[in-house]
Amino acid sequence: MRRASVRGGLVVTGLMVVTVFLWSTPFLWTLVASFRPDNSGGIHMASLLPDYTPTLANFIEALESGDFAVYYLNTAIVAFGILAVQIVTISLAGYAFARLEFPGRDVIFYVFLLQLMLVPPILIVPNLRMIVDLGLYNTLLGVMLPYFASAFGTFLMRQTFRQIPRDFEEAATIDGARWWQVLWHVLLPMAKPGLVAFSLVSLMAHWNEFLWPLMVLNEPSKQTLTVGLASFALGTEGGKEWGLLAAGTLLVMLPLLALFAVFQRQFINSFMFSGLKG
Amino acid sequence: MRWFHSLAAAAAVATLAPAIAAAQTKIDFFFPVPVDGKLAKELQRLTKVYNDSQKDVAVTPVYAGNYDDAKLKAQAAAAAGKPPAVALMSANYILDLKIAGDIISLEPMLKAEGTTREKFLSDFWPALHANATVDGELYGIPYQNSTPLLYYNKDQFKEVGLDPEKPPQTWAELVADAKKLTKDGRWGFQLAGGYDYIGWLMQTLVMTNGGRFFNEEYGGEVYYDTASTLGAAQFVEDLVFKHKVMQQGVLDGGAVSTNFLAGKVSMMLLSTGSLSFIRENMKSAYGVGFVPKNVRNAVPIGGGSLVMFKGLSEEQKQAGWKFMKWLTTAETLGGWSRFTGYFAPRKSSYDLPEMKDFIAKNPDAKVALDQLPYAKPWTATYQTVAVRKALDDEMQAVLNGKKKAPQAVKDAQKAADALLKPYDDQTALKLP
Repeated sequence: MRRASVRGGLVVTGLMVVTVFLWSTPFLWTLVASFRPDNSGGIHMASLLPDYTPTLANFIEALESGDFAVYYLNTAIVAFGILAVQIVTISLAGYAFARLEFPGRDVIFYVFLLQLMLVPPILIVPNLRMIVDLGLYNTLLGVMLPYFASAFGTFLMRQTFRQIPRDFEEAATIDGARWWQVLWHVLLPMAKPGLVAFSLVSLMAHWNEFLWPLMVLNEPSKQTLTVGLASFALGTEGGKEWGLLAAGTLLVMLPLLALFAVFQRQFINSFMFSGLKG
Repeated sequence: MRWFHSLAAAAAVATLAPAIAAAQTKIDFFFPVPVDGKLAKELQRLTKVYNDSQKDVAVTPVYAGNYDDAKLKAQAAAAAGKPPAVALMSANYILDLKIAGDIISLEPMLKAEGTTREKFLSDFWPALHANATVDGELYGIPYQNSTPLLYYNKDQFKEVGLDPEKPPQTWAELVADAKKLTKDGRWGFQLAGGYDYIGWLMQTLVMTNGGRFFNEEYGGEVYYDTASTLGAAQFVEDLVFKHKVMQQGVLDGGAVSTNFLAGKVSMMLLSTGSLSFIRENMKSAYGVGFVPKNVRNAVPIGGGSLVMFKGLSEEQKQAGWKFMKWLTTAETLGGWSRFTGYFAPRKSSYDLPEMKDFIAKNPDAKVALDQLPYAKPWTATYQTVAVRKALDDEMQAVLNGKKKAPQAVKDAQKAADALLKPYDDQTALKLP
């Protein structure tokens, strides 16, 4: 009996190792390729094994082909700026849809959700027109503005708030708390797992976004990372400098990776907390 | 007291500066980078040289993704009221952009200078004229151009007993050489099969097969279901499935050049735009040759031209025109050609001493230049991208072994005709 369960555990572990390996192959290849000295081709290029003396040449070339310090700063401003405003708007909107009673609430909510069905490229021209009218063309604020409200975030917060038993709020209300005090001191702390999950999705999406920043921004000093990376990744008529591409890709994803590594415990805890509660 | 003078001078400069800035016309220059990231830096540097050279115009260099992104960005910006005064667009988009009413004719600028289109274009290679003009008016100035080229590995030619100085001249020789070169782990020949690229190379094969591929004079017709196109499509199918000298499946340009550098492909058909890259990275000896022919020597041009979007003020138009002219002097175009590997669209660029030195040092660039007299316009129609993709899709199916060539060209023609119909109805089929 015991031996069978040990064997079962081994099989599961084995399967997990294989899955993890498959999932991490692209990342491993990127890592290996970025330190490879001969970056342009050669049969070794496809290898997952570091069969060479590592070099930083690719990273140096990538860093030289763009002003990465500026790109990092701009991307951070955009991604974290959007998130900061979103947290306020989705909490308030989510609270309104979850708790307040007003005529047409559900209809408005579903209309709001329709936004999720729209393909973003359709909105490029109308959004850009509005950005120009507001005098925000070629500014980081112009990149951020359309994302200040989030249908997905509002939906997520509404669902999260609705799962919290009303008893907590009623207790607070009896103690004399106003609606915003209830929201701040009672609901938001309990909705932390939802907020953390949303933050992760939002940060990833806006860190990696390409098309919209490309449309709004003109000056090189205002470019974001993805646009900077694209300047050496999109070549079709030339050859592919795989090592350079790999190094550039790593540079773009590094901060997010570091962020996740540092906050890994919190992320996983928050998901576990949400799991227990549900 | 001296400090007071310099302070006063500084104050005077500070108060005057805004006045100078106000008189300066600000324009945007949108450019894609289809070859290499270093080019984006070089274009920014060139723009800075221009900005520093004069005080009337301040140009903002704007990197705009690949050719398709750049078109989308320029059109969106124009629709939002911020049109670029100068934009580098794929040369085959010009007709489509004109039909859509996005770009403006450059004839008024020519007229103001007392010159004509014929005079202005006379220094540009003849093959470039058609893609720069629409309905007899100038809409684009050629800036960076390419043609397809045959690249081959000389060491591997020697290894199988072929003369390394004699690349194949005809389709028959290509097949014979490729068969000798193909062995375990190595293919004799490869052409790029990615979107856009396969369409361009198909036009190349059709032209060397005697065909025209599209109507150079009218944007509402393509010739996919014809003997010359069928022959080219069948040739591609045979290379893979009958002669077995080319890998089955779709390889994009980057993958093909990587295989060539790695010695896994002995010959490849790729753009002259890859020449600098191959020169810098190839370890074995390599050579280049004309695209092999079946009926005649012919290649389409590729690359990009400078255009002006509509919605600009009169000052911005003048400023854009000035910058365009600066970017397309024989000197600037020659320098850009040496930096990128594109050929210079002006013939006179090649009379410059630094260009003569360059050609003497790089015989492969000479072959690309010698092929130019055989160059012809690039496919440009109403809805160019979609019409091209109609054939791209079918050819990819052929490369994957999912379709036979005769069916593929029929289906491509049908899809293209459907796309062209709205334009045909408005033009050739609109009868009194």
